[in-house]
Amino acid sequence: MRAETLKGHLDGILLAVLEPGPSHGYAIMEALRARSGGQVDLPTGTVYPALHRLERAGLVRASWSESGGRRRRVYELTPAGRRALEGERSTWRDFSAAVTALLQPLPPPAASPS
Amino acid sequence: MSGLSRRPVPDGGATVEVYLAAIGGRLPGPGWAHASILAELRSGLLDATDAHRAAGLPSAEAAAAAIDEFGDPVQVADAFRGEIAARQARAVAISLLAAGPLIGLLWFTAARTSHVGVRLGPPWQWQHLSVAARAAVHLFVVPIGVTAWAALFAIASTGRLSRWLPVGPRGVPTAAAVAALASASGDALGLALIAIQLATAGGQLAPLPVAAAATASLTRLVLARRAAHRCLAVRASLA
Repeated sequence: MRAETLKGHLDGILLAVLEPGPSHGYAIMEALRARSGGQVDLPTGTVYPALHRLERAGLVRASWSESGGRRRRVYELTPAGRRALEGERSTWRDFSAAVTALLQPLPPPAASPS
Repeated sequence: MSGLSRRPVPDGGATVEVYLAAIGGRLPGPGWAHASILAELRSGLLDATDAHRAAGLPSAEAAAAAIDEFGDPVQVADAFRGEIAARQARAVAISLLAAGPLIGLLWFTAARTSHVGVRLGPPWQWQHLSVAARAAVHLFVVPIGVTAWAALFAIASTGRLSRWLPVGPRGVPTAAAVAALASASGDALGLALIAIQLATAGGQLAPLPVAAAATASLTRLVLARRAAHRCLAVRASLA
Protein backbone atom coordinates (compact mmCIF):
# COMPACT_ATOMS: atom_id res chain seq x y z
CA MET A 1 0.00 0.00 0.00
CA ARG A 2 1.47 3.34 -1.05
CA ALA A 3 1.90 6.39 1.17
CA GLU A 4 -0.63 8.35 -0.90
CA THR A 5 -3.31 5.72 -0.19
CA LEU A 6 -2.71 6.10 3.54
CA LYS A 7 -2.72 9.89 3.44
CA GLY A 8 -4.90 11.21 6.24
CA HIS A 9 -4.88 7.89 8.12
CA LEU A 10 -1.20 7.47 9.00
CA ASP A 11 -1.52 9.34 12.32
CA GLY A 12 -4.36 7.07 13.48
CA ILE A 13 -2.46 3.96 12.33
CA LEU A 14 0.67 4.97 14.24
CA LEU A 15 -1.37 5.73 17.36
CA ALA A 16 -2.99 2.28 17.08
CA VAL A 17 0.41 0.59 16.75
CA LEU A 18 1.56 2.38 19.91
CA GLU A 19 -1.58 1.50 21.87
CA PRO A 20 -0.22 -1.76 23.40
CA GLY A 21 2.85 0.01 24.82
CA PRO A 22 5.97 2.11 24.21
CA SER A 23 8.02 1.28 21.14
CA HIS A 24 10.90 2.67 19.07
CA GLY A 25 10.86 3.70 15.39
CA TYR A 26 11.98 0.47 13.75
CA ALA A 27 9.80 -1.71 16.00
CA ILE A 28 6.82 0.52 15.15
CA MET A 29 7.46 -0.03 11.45
CA GLU A 30 7.79 -3.80 11.95
CA ALA A 31 4.51 -3.87 13.91
CA LEU A 32 2.87 -1.83 11.17
CA ARG A 33 3.95 -4.37 8.54
CA ALA A 34 2.99 -7.35 10.70
CA ARG A 35 -0.45 -6.01 11.73
CA SER A 36 -1.33 -5.10 8.13
CA GLY A 37 -0.23 -8.52 6.86
CA GLY A 38 2.51 -6.81 4.84
CA GLN A 39 0.01 -4.53 3.06
CA VAL A 40 1.42 -1.36 4.62
CA ASP A 41 5.07 -1.11 3.70
CA LEU A 42 6.11 2.54 3.71
CA PRO A 43 9.73 3.62 3.40
CA THR A 44 10.75 3.31 7.06
CA GLY A 45 12.61 6.62 7.00
CA THR A 46 9.40 8.54 6.27
CA VAL A 47 7.65 7.20 9.37
CA TYR A 48 10.00 9.10 11.72
CA PRO A 49 8.82 12.60 10.65
CA ALA A 50 5.23 11.44 11.23
CA LEU A 51 6.17 10.33 14.76
CA HIS A 52 7.83 13.72 15.39
CA ARG A 53 4.65 15.47 14.22
CA LEU A 54 2.56 13.40 16.66
CA GLU A 55 5.00 14.31 19.43
CA ARG A 56 4.68 18.01 18.62
CA ALA A 57 0.88 17.68 18.71
CA GLY A 58 1.13 16.16 22.21
CA LEU A 59 -0.32 12.79 21.11
CA VAL A 60 2.85 10.80 21.87
CA ARG A 61 5.81 11.49 24.10
CA ALA A 62 9.33 10.44 23.20
CA SER A 63 12.43 9.79 25.28
CA TRP A 64 15.84 8.32 24.59
CA SER A 65 16.58 5.02 26.30
CA GLU A 66 19.46 2.59 26.07
CA SER A 67 19.19 -1.17 25.75
CA GLY A 68 21.63 -3.73 24.40
CA GLY A 69 24.28 -0.99 24.05
CA ARG A 70 22.13 1.00 21.58
CA ARG A 71 20.32 4.29 22.23
CA ARG A 72 16.81 4.38 20.85
CA ARG A 73 14.09 7.02 20.84
CA VAL A 74 11.07 5.37 22.41
CA TYR A 75 7.54 6.65 21.78
CA GLU A 76 4.46 6.16 23.93
CA LEU A 77 0.87 7.38 23.78
CA THR A 78 -0.15 10.30 25.96
CA PRO A 79 -3.70 10.50 27.40
CA ALA A 80 -4.50 12.97 24.57
CA GLY A 81 -3.12 10.38 22.11
CA ARG A 82 -5.47 7.71 23.49
CA ARG A 83 -8.43 10.06 23.13
CA ALA A 84 -7.34 10.96 19.59
CA LEU A 85 -7.09 7.25 18.73
CA GLU A 86 -10.68 6.69 19.88
CA GLY A 87 -11.73 9.62 17.70
CA GLU A 88 -9.83 8.21 14.69
CA ARG A 89 -11.49 4.80 15.19
CA SER A 90 -14.94 6.27 15.35
CA THR A 91 -14.34 8.46 12.27
CA TRP A 92 -12.93 5.48 10.35
CA ARG A 93 -15.92 3.26 11.24
CA ASP A 94 -18.37 5.88 9.94
CA PHE A 95 -16.25 6.55 6.83
CA SER A 96 -15.73 2.89 5.93
CA ALA A 97 -19.42 2.05 6.49
CA ALA A 98 -20.44 4.89 4.17
CA VAL A 99 -17.89 4.00 1.46
CA THR A 100 -18.73 0.28 1.67
CA ALA A 101 -22.40 1.10 1.20
CA LEU A 102 -21.58 3.37 -1.74
CA LEU A 103 -19.31 0.86 -3.47
CA GLN A 104 -21.81 -1.97 -3.09
CA PRO A 105 -23.19 -2.94 -6.54
CA LEU A 106 -26.84 -2.09 -6.80
CA PRO A 107 -29.22 -5.02 -7.36
CA PRO A 108 -30.30 -5.24 -11.01
CA PRO A 109 -33.56 -3.41 -11.64
CA ALA A 110 -36.60 -5.67 -11.59
CA ALA A 111 -37.81 -6.54 -15.09
CA SER A 112 -40.91 -4.51 -15.88
CA PRO A 113 -43.93 -6.55 -17.08
CA SER A 114 -44.48 -5.95 -20.80
CA MET B 1 16.09 4.17 -4.60
CA SER B 2 19.46 5.80 -5.05
CA GLY B 3 22.37 3.77 -6.32
CA LEU B 4 24.44 4.21 -3.21
CA SER B 5 22.16 2.03 -1.09
CA ARG B 6 22.22 -0.89 -3.47
CA ARG B 7 26.00 -1.21 -3.45
CA PRO B 8 27.03 -3.51 -0.61
CA VAL B 9 30.45 -2.58 0.74
CA PRO B 10 32.52 -4.71 3.13
CA ASP B 11 31.72 -2.41 6.07
CA GLY B 12 27.95 -2.12 6.50
CA GLY B 13 28.41 0.69 9.06
CA ALA B 14 30.17 2.84 6.49
CA THR B 15 27.28 2.36 4.02
CA VAL B 16 24.88 3.52 6.72
CA GLU B 17 27.01 6.61 7.38
CA VAL B 18 27.14 7.49 3.67
CA TYR B 19 23.34 7.16 3.54
CA LEU B 20 22.89 9.34 6.65
CA ALA B 21 25.26 11.96 5.21
CA ALA B 22 23.13 12.04 2.05
CA ILE B 23 20.03 12.73 4.17
CA GLY B 24 21.81 15.26 6.43
CA GLY B 25 23.10 17.13 3.37
CA ARG B 26 19.54 17.73 2.17
CA LEU B 27 18.04 18.82 5.49
CA PRO B 28 17.49 22.57 5.84
CA GLY B 29 19.08 24.58 8.65
CA PRO B 30 22.39 24.22 10.49
CA GLY B 31 24.03 20.79 10.85
CA TRP B 32 23.90 20.76 14.67
CA ALA B 33 20.09 20.94 14.50
CA HIS B 34 19.98 17.58 12.65
CA ALA B 35 22.06 15.61 15.17
CA SER B 36 19.05 14.16 16.99
CA ILE B 37 17.24 13.24 13.75
CA LEU B 38 20.32 11.50 12.32
CA ALA B 39 21.03 9.71 15.63
CA GLU B 40 17.50 8.33 15.63
CA LEU B 41 17.70 7.23 11.99
CA ARG B 42 21.11 5.63 12.67
CA SER B 43 19.73 3.59 15.55
CA GLY B 44 16.77 2.48 13.38
CA LEU B 45 19.08 1.53 10.51
CA LEU B 46 21.27 -0.51 12.85
CA ASP B 47 18.14 -2.28 14.17
CA ALA B 48 17.08 -3.01 10.59
CA THR B 49 20.59 -4.26 9.74
CA ASP B 50 20.47 -6.57 12.76
CA ALA B 51 17.08 -7.90 11.63
CA HIS B 52 18.39 -8.68 8.12
CA ARG B 53 21.56 -10.23 9.54
CA ALA B 54 19.43 -12.41 11.82
CA ALA B 55 17.50 -13.48 8.70
CA GLY B 56 20.76 -14.77 7.22
CA LEU B 57 22.27 -11.93 5.18
CA PRO B 58 25.98 -11.13 5.51
CA SER B 59 26.76 -7.76 7.17
CA ALA B 60 27.28 -5.67 4.04
CA GLU B 61 24.13 -7.00 2.31
CA ALA B 62 22.17 -6.60 5.55
CA ALA B 63 23.14 -2.90 5.72
CA ALA B 64 22.23 -2.39 2.05
CA ALA B 65 18.85 -4.09 2.62
CA ALA B 66 18.21 -1.90 5.69
CA ILE B 67 18.94 1.22 3.63
CA ASP B 68 16.64 -0.01 0.87
CA GLU B 69 13.92 -0.44 3.49
CA PHE B 70 14.39 3.11 4.81
CA GLY B 71 13.91 4.61 1.37
CA ASP B 72 15.52 7.08 -0.97
CA PRO B 73 17.56 9.64 1.07
CA VAL B 74 15.95 12.45 -0.95
CA GLN B 75 12.46 11.21 -0.04
CA VAL B 76 13.39 10.77 3.64
CA ALA B 77 15.01 14.24 3.86
CA ASP B 78 12.00 15.82 2.15
CA ALA B 79 9.67 14.13 4.64
CA PHE B 80 11.60 15.81 7.47
CA ARG B 81 11.60 19.30 5.93
CA GLY B 82 8.11 20.23 7.14
CA GLU B 83 8.95 19.04 10.63
CA ILE B 84 12.18 21.03 10.75
CA ALA B 85 10.36 24.12 9.44
CA ALA B 86 7.69 23.76 12.14
CA ARG B 87 10.24 23.29 14.94
CA GLN B 88 12.31 26.23 13.76
CA ALA B 89 9.26 28.49 13.43
CA ARG B 90 8.06 27.51 16.90
CA ALA B 91 11.45 28.24 18.47
CA VAL B 92 11.61 31.65 16.76
CA ALA B 93 8.06 32.53 17.87
CA ILE B 94 8.68 31.48 21.49
CA SER B 95 11.96 33.46 21.61
CA LEU B 96 10.22 36.58 20.29
CA LEU B 97 7.39 36.33 22.80
CA ALA B 98 9.85 35.73 25.66
CA ALA B 99 12.13 38.61 24.63
CA GLY B 100 9.26 41.11 24.22
CA PRO B 101 8.47 41.78 27.89
CA LEU B 102 12.18 41.74 28.87
CA ILE B 103 13.19 44.36 26.31
CA GLY B 104 9.98 46.29 27.03
CA LEU B 105 11.01 46.40 30.69
CA LEU B 106 14.47 47.73 29.73
CA TRP B 107 12.88 50.53 27.70
CA PHE B 108 10.42 51.29 30.48
CA THR B 109 13.32 51.57 32.95
CA ALA B 110 15.20 53.78 30.48
CA ALA B 111 12.15 56.06 30.17
CA ARG B 112 11.55 56.19 33.93
CA THR B 113 15.15 57.11 34.68
CA SER B 114 15.36 59.71 31.91
CA HIS B 115 13.91 63.19 32.25
CA VAL B 116 11.26 63.00 29.58
CA GLY B 117 8.23 63.52 31.80
CA VAL B 118 7.34 59.84 31.98
CA ARG B 119 5.33 60.23 35.18
CA LEU B 120 2.83 62.54 33.53
CA GLY B 121 1.14 59.98 31.32
CA PRO B 122 1.58 57.77 28.27
CA PRO B 123 4.66 58.25 26.02
CA TRP B 124 2.99 60.57 23.52
CA GLN B 125 2.20 62.99 26.37
CA TRP B 126 5.73 63.10 27.78
CA GLN B 127 6.68 66.75 27.95
CA HIS B 128 10.28 66.61 26.85
CA LEU B 129 10.00 64.22 23.93
CA SER B 130 10.82 65.80 20.59
CA VAL B 131 7.80 66.42 18.37
CA ALA B 132 8.89 63.75 15.85
CA ALA B 133 9.42 61.16 18.60
CA ARG B 134 6.05 61.99 20.16
CA ALA B 135 4.31 61.41 16.83
CA ALA B 136 6.28 58.29 15.91
CA VAL B 137 5.67 56.58 19.27
CA HIS B 138 2.11 55.81 18.13
CA LEU B 139 3.53 53.57 15.42
CA PHE B 140 4.78 51.05 18.00
CA VAL B 141 1.30 49.54 18.18
CA VAL B 142 1.77 48.09 14.68
CA PRO B 143 4.99 46.05 15.13
CA ILE B 144 4.04 44.96 18.66
CA GLY B 145 0.58 43.84 17.51
CA VAL B 146 1.83 42.05 14.40
CA THR B 147 4.68 40.32 16.29
CA ALA B 148 2.36 39.09 19.03
CA TRP B 149 -0.36 37.90 16.65
CA ALA B 150 1.97 36.12 14.20
CA ALA B 151 4.08 34.54 16.97
CA LEU B 152 1.00 33.27 18.83
CA PHE B 153 -0.36 31.85 15.58
CA ALA B 154 2.96 30.07 14.86
CA ILE B 155 3.05 28.60 18.38
CA ALA B 156 -0.59 27.48 18.30
CA SER B 157 -0.30 25.86 14.87
CA THR B 158 2.82 23.87 15.81
CA GLY B 159 1.76 22.59 19.23
CA ARG B 160 -1.17 20.84 20.82
CA LEU B 161 -3.66 23.02 18.97
CA SER B 162 -2.24 21.94 15.60
CA ARG B 163 -4.96 19.29 15.19
CA TRP B 164 -7.62 21.99 15.26
CA LEU B 165 -5.58 24.58 13.36
CA PRO B 166 -4.66 22.90 10.10
CA VAL B 167 -2.07 25.14 8.44
CA GLY B 168 -0.17 24.28 5.27
CA PRO B 169 3.55 23.46 5.69
CA ARG B 170 4.58 26.88 4.36
CA GLY B 171 2.14 28.80 6.57
CA VAL B 172 4.04 28.22 9.81
CA PRO B 173 7.49 29.50 8.69
CA THR B 174 5.69 32.41 7.01
CA ALA B 175 4.01 33.38 10.30
CA ALA B 176 7.32 33.13 12.19
CA ALA B 177 9.11 35.22 9.55
CA VAL B 178 6.36 37.87 9.72
CA ALA B 179 6.68 37.95 13.54
CA ALA B 180 10.48 38.27 13.34
CA LEU B 181 10.37 41.02 10.69
CA ALA B 182 7.71 42.95 12.64
CA SER B 183 9.83 42.67 15.79
CA ALA B 184 12.91 43.88 13.90
CA SER B 185 10.87 46.82 12.55
CA GLY B 186 9.78 47.71 16.09
CA ASP B 187 13.39 47.71 17.26
CA ALA B 188 14.49 49.78 14.27
CA LEU B 189 11.74 52.29 15.08
CA GLY B 190 12.77 52.41 18.77
CA LEU B 191 16.41 52.95 17.89
CA ALA B 192 15.47 55.67 15.38
CA LEU B 193 13.39 57.46 18.06
CA ILE B 194 16.28 57.32 20.51
CA ALA B 195 18.62 58.70 17.83
CA ILE B 196 16.18 61.60 17.24
CA GLN B 197 15.88 62.23 20.97
CA LEU B 198 19.67 62.16 21.35
CA ALA B 199 20.03 64.66 18.53
CA THR B 200 17.36 67.05 19.84
CA ALA B 201 17.44 66.68 23.63
CA GLY B 202 20.08 64.10 24.45
CA GLY B 203 20.85 65.56 27.87
CA GLN B 204 17.47 64.43 29.18
CA LEU B 205 18.26 60.73 28.64
CA ALA B 206 19.75 58.54 31.37
CA PRO B 207 22.88 57.15 29.62
CA LEU B 208 23.24 53.69 31.15
CA PRO B 209 19.59 52.49 31.07
CA VAL B 210 19.16 53.88 27.56
CA ALA B 211 22.40 52.22 26.40
CA ALA B 212 21.28 48.89 27.92
CA ALA B 213 17.84 49.07 26.24
CA ALA B 214 19.32 50.17 22.90
CA THR B 215 21.92 47.35 22.98
CA ALA B 216 19.20 44.80 23.74
CA SER B 217 17.02 46.15 20.93
CA LEU B 218 19.92 46.17 18.47
CA THR B 219 20.81 42.57 19.39
CA ARG B 220 17.20 41.46 18.94
CA LEU B 221 16.98 43.34 15.65
CA VAL B 222 20.01 41.47 14.25
CA LEU B 223 18.88 38.07 15.59
CA ALA B 224 15.26 38.53 14.46
CA ARG B 225 16.39 39.52 10.96
CA ARG B 226 18.56 36.39 10.74
CA ALA B 227 15.72 34.23 12.08
CA ALA B 228 13.32 35.68 9.50
CA HIS B 229 15.76 34.85 6.69
CA ARG B 230 16.20 31.31 8.01
CA CYS B 231 12.42 30.80 8.17
CA LEU B 232 11.98 32.16 4.66
CA ALA B 233 14.77 29.91 3.37
CA VAL B 234 13.11 26.82 4.91
CA ARG B 235 9.76 27.97 3.54
CA ALA B 236 11.24 28.22 0.05
CA SER B 237 12.61 24.67 0.35
CA LEU B 238 9.13 23.23 1.05
CA ALA B 239 7.16 21.88 -1.86
